[in-house]
Amino acid sequence: MTDALNLLTENFGNFASGLWVTVRIVAVAFVIAMVVGTLVAAFRVAPVKALQRIGGVYVEVFRNIPLLVLLLILFIGVRRAGLPISAWVAGTMGLGLYTAAYIAEALRSGVFAVGKGQVDAALSLGLTYSRTMRRIILPQAFRTVIPTLGSLIIAMVKNSAIVGASLLALPDLLKESRVIQSETAQTEAFLWAAAGYLLVTITVTVVFRRLETRYAVRR
Amino acid sequence: MDYLFSYDNWEWLWTGNNFRFLVEGILVNLQIAVVAIIFSLIFGLSLALLRLARNRFVSIVAGLWVDVWRNLPLIFIILYLALAVPGSWRDAYASAIPDWFPDALQDELVLGALLGLVLYNSAVLCEIMRSGIQSLDRGQREAAASLGLTYFQQMRFVVLPQGLRRMVPSTVSQLITLNKDTTLVSIIAIQEVVGAGSTLASVNFGVEVRPAYLQVFIVIGLLFIAVNFSLSRLSRRLEMRERERTGTTVKPVEGIEDQVALQTDVLPPR
Repeated sequence: MTDALNLLTENFGNFASGLWVTVRIVAVAFVIAMVVGTLVAAFRVAPVKALQRIGGVYVEVFRNIPLLVLLLILFIGVRRAGLPISAWVAGTMGLGLYTAAYIAEALRSGVFAVGKGQVDAALSLGLTYSRTMRRIILPQAFRTVIPTLGSLIIAMVKNSAIVGASLLALPDLLKESRVIQSETAQTEAFLWAAAGYLLVTITVTVVFRRLETRYAVRR
Repeated sequence: MDYLFSYDNWEWLWTGNNFRFLVEGILVNLQIAVVAIIFSLIFGLSLALLRLARNRFVSIVAGLWVDVWRNLPLIFIILYLALAVPGSWRDAYASAIPDWFPDALQDELVLGALLGLVLYNSAVLCEIMRSGIQSLDRGQREAAASLGLTYFQQMRFVVLPQGLRRMVPSTVSQLITLNKDTTLVSIIAIQEVVGAGSTLASVNFGVEVRPAYLQVFIVIGLLFIAVNFSLSRLSRRLEMRERERTGTTVKPVEGIEDQVALQTDVLPPR
């Protein structure tokens, strides 16, 4: 037991910086995912068939492709094609675009929960489609999907480990713990990484429970 | 952009055995997924029964176990087990695995990968099954009890057949996620499709046509999309049929990524 604690205190800086990188990856990817996901959701529920199809294709592609394959395409594939994309950009974009598909679906179900009647009413009052979405539907839809967003963020935290473990090798919590483990040959390093991940996950769960009780609408 | 569409970079697709090599790779992924889900279903059901046990202690301990495994990254679990599985277990696996199993699964590294996949997915499936069982009307159990059935008889003849049937669509949905997760085992050097793709793209001796990494992995992505898309169509059809039969749906399980999409596709807009 003291071995494990010593490992933590000696390498605390590394663990902490790894954890911080993980948090940053998730934060940036979340912003990308929300922006792209909202756009795709708007396409999916648009009254224009062509837009619906484009949104549908996006969702099907990014739901069914493994995240690792997507990351390798973005990082190595694109680089070998000549575009010098950094690991950070490839990692956050990959995670963001991947999660955007799920956010789009969650928002779509949120929009359905708000109800077509409001869309019809808004359009009959002369609001344009984009105003209707921006001012009336999407704000309500966001409130309905808060619980799902919580579990998607937790999924993103778990997926961020793939970014660190794969060839992208960003120095996140998993990578740091692997380095420490290979340097000291103590597998307790992984236990501390697990504790770190659980800490983040529990924090997200608690924060979202609080948000749910304040803002979420149960339909 | 020219790079993406240039003929040279796609030529590998129809030369030699390249495409077949990739398809054989993805078959390995599917095999790992099938083996993993079979064991995950068995353990997941046991965990679900423990979770629903009347003994509070058992139910809480099982709950903690499930929560821990569900919240850890799968790649982390796989890496840890690949490192920490004792050599004796690996030897036992290598000797115990029957010869008719596919070659890729004979590799002793696969034990760590399978253990990781099963530990993680059994926790997720436990939650799916628990949700399915709990969505069953209480009246069913009460009626069974009033007919004099013991707890085990109730479970076996009344609760489980109905409850488990309800979670078939969610389970297929989890199978899709599991399929995608099998690519993670490439990180511990098991020869599946991502490994095959990397091998293809790095070959540069004795071939007329050198496959381009970007195109190889786009094709791998398309293969996965094809497989998973068919599975998700199947899952949607099962969910719709279940909805018609019983008129009820299962409460969505937290944390299953695909779950949301499943519910949305089947639920018509109001």
